[in-house]
Amino acid sequence: MKVVALILVASLLGWSVYAQETQSTGSNDEWQMDEWGDWEEQEQQSVLPVTGFFDVAVGQRFSSDPAISGNKTLRDLRVQVQWEKLFDASSLHFTSDLYYDGVKDNVEIQVRELAWQGRLSALDSWGDNLDVKVGQQVLTWGTGDYLFLNDLFPKDWQSFFSGRDDEYLKAPSLSAKVSGYFDWGNVDVVVTPRFAPDNYINGEVFSFFNPMAQSNVAPEFVVSDDNRPEGAEVALRYYRSVDTTDIALYGYRGYHKSPNATDEFGRPRFTRLNVYGASAISPFGSGLAKVEYAFHDSMDDSDGSNPLVPNSQSRFLVGYEHELVANLTGSVQWYLEHNHDHSSLLNASPWPQYESEQNRHVVTTQLMYRALRQTLTLNWFNFYSPTDSDGYMRFRATYKPVDEWSVSGGLNWFYGDESHTFFNQFEDASNAYMAFRYYY
Amino acid sequence: MKTLVTGALLTLAANFPAVADVNLDELVQQAERAAYYAGEDGRSQARMMIVDGQGRKQMRQFTILRKDVEDNGDQKMLVFFDRPTDVKDTVFRVEKHALLDQDDDRWLYLPALDLVKRISAGDKRTSFVGSHFFYEDVSGRAIAEDSFSLQQETDTQYVLRAEPKKPDTVEFAYYDVSIDKATSLPVLINFYKASGEHYRQVEAVQIETIQGYPTVVRSKVTDLASGGYTLMEFRGAEYDLGLPDDLFSERSLRTPPRQWLN
Repeated sequence: MKVVALILVASLLGWSVYAQETQSTGSNDEWQMDEWGDWEEQEQQSVLPVTGFFDVAVGQRFSSDPAISGNKTLRDLRVQVQWEKLFDASSLHFTSDLYYDGVKDNVEIQVRELAWQGRLSALDSWGDNLDVKVGQQVLTWGTGDYLFLNDLFPKDWQSFFSGRDDEYLKAPSLSAKVSGYFDWGNVDVVVTPRFAPDNYINGEVFSFFNPMAQSNVAPEFVVSDDNRPEGAEVALRYYRSVDTTDIALYGYRGYHKSPNATDEFGRPRFTRLNVYGASAISPFGSGLAKVEYAFHDSMDDSDGSNPLVPNSQSRFLVGYEHELVANLTGSVQWYLEHNHDHSSLLNASPWPQYESEQNRHVVTTQLMYRALRQTLTLNWFNFYSPTDSDGYMRFRATYKPVDEWSVSGGLNWFYGDESHTFFNQFEDASNAYMAFRYYY
Repeated sequence: MKTLVTGALLTLAANFPAVADVNLDELVQQAERAAYYAGEDGRSQARMMIVDGQGRKQMRQFTILRKDVEDNGDQKMLVFFDRPTDVKDTVFRVEKHALLDQDDDRWLYLPALDLVKRISAGDKRTSFVGSHFFYEDVSGRAIAEDSFSLQQETDTQYVLRAEPKKPDTVEFAYYDVSIDKATSLPVLINFYKASGEHYRQVEAVQIETIQGYPTVVRSKVTDLASGGYTLMEFRGAEYDLGLPDDLFSERSLRTPPRQWLN
């Protein structure tokens, strides 16, 4: 891995063609910082500007996947446009991606944000304590790194696996968020009127294990309308700081975010899910310690005996993050998924050998290194499950020596012993990618 | 927001034998207050130009809000980034703790993910947002970290030498700081290795008096080894705005308090 990183770095350094003539000494002229014009101009621009980037990304499988023709995992030609309009007490935000996806050979538009945000002071004095954000938006909460216990907002796992920037792991949803800030704590209420599922792995770019076929399949399935709920999702969070500890309570009423259930014809479907949880994060020693719990109540299978519907789960997370030496931060997380009513599940299952363990443990380790005045970032992240004997290693290097462009490259590596386990089913999805981004 | 930059320099020690009739302890505390604690609170726009050893340039533009819990003590800070594009709307929140054994609390808001991320305490002598300034140059190095001695006194300046009490936690062996008698501001700091190599310099380039507080509005840090440097300039600094305590909270990360930013 080190070798890969070094080669990558070396090739990146070779790209620096931006060297400028001479080095000045902070003469008076230099203080004009001409590249950015004067300050007043900036202020005007901040009302109307369109900013964003162009991005080219290419990724390839390490070995072919028998279930999928073609080894391309990422072929993006993308432009992102950001615009915002500020009013007296509120603002309008727009962020949209237009991209050609060369793997699917599609042109796609993803509106990541089109939302109005403001304070409700106009209503009455109690409105001073309330902020509202309504529209298409990306939402995140919880304490886990790449592990989600109480964050039931939509994720885009296809983007995550293919090496798109981390921002794309979070998919937008059309939601209304009301945030209240009070002496006794803060409350967020998020209503998503129409269920927004994850962009789950469905065989379009990456195949997955199917117990009936006893091998990986890539059906590119779409969940039929009658198996896709149209109801609302409601997510709640209460949080506050107690001394230097940030604590939170969570609630969710909605659906499993991936179609993990099947109907009587074997077609995928979404089923009901309620979630209750809590978290705390606090300085500890010279680092940060965190703990999070969530009970995933699978409402359509409350006793766990229906093999077509996922069982209820308890999810635990304990983590610690700490700077090992200057610019190198390490973190470790231990995560447990406990399947309730596991024996009922096994008794009722047509393929008990492929069902998940009663307790699935995952340990993640991360090393993040920033070098060259933070222009070079190396990020290594590994999931390892001792109970499934499988894992998923991610590595990414990003070099951004100037404001205008950055180049990055990385790996997604799935490994394990058995073909059906959570991570190792994606063994043939293992890939490497590179991306170049130009900011305007 | 004199505050930000120059200050790093200062540091003082409590138990100094007074040299001549100069009370070093008081001198350093006064310099720390002048550099980092002007007014009860403050706001300023800031921009930096970062020039690396090869002459490549980067810019940062941001707005800072600061409120003192007490002079020479704890502070609350918010930094709202405007530019460049990839950090626009990113917000950095710090609860600075003056006690040596208590780390600062830090949070970062990443708008693309709508994520408020708590950040673990880090080495304070690493780059602040990619510049040649260290985090500690911006937030202030606690004066209790170093021992001070008077090197020289001129008509206009005191020159103090500061030696770290815990040398293994910093990259310098000592530094010399020149404190301007008229303003109490540190105006030049030179950092040295044990070999005597002078490798880093922080200087106040321009000082203006704002609402009666002498304020460093232009400062420069130079990495003498690579030739790289960063210029920092403050605009529109104002003090004693009456910033409310609850401004320094998660709410301001997600919904920037625009009435206090312009």
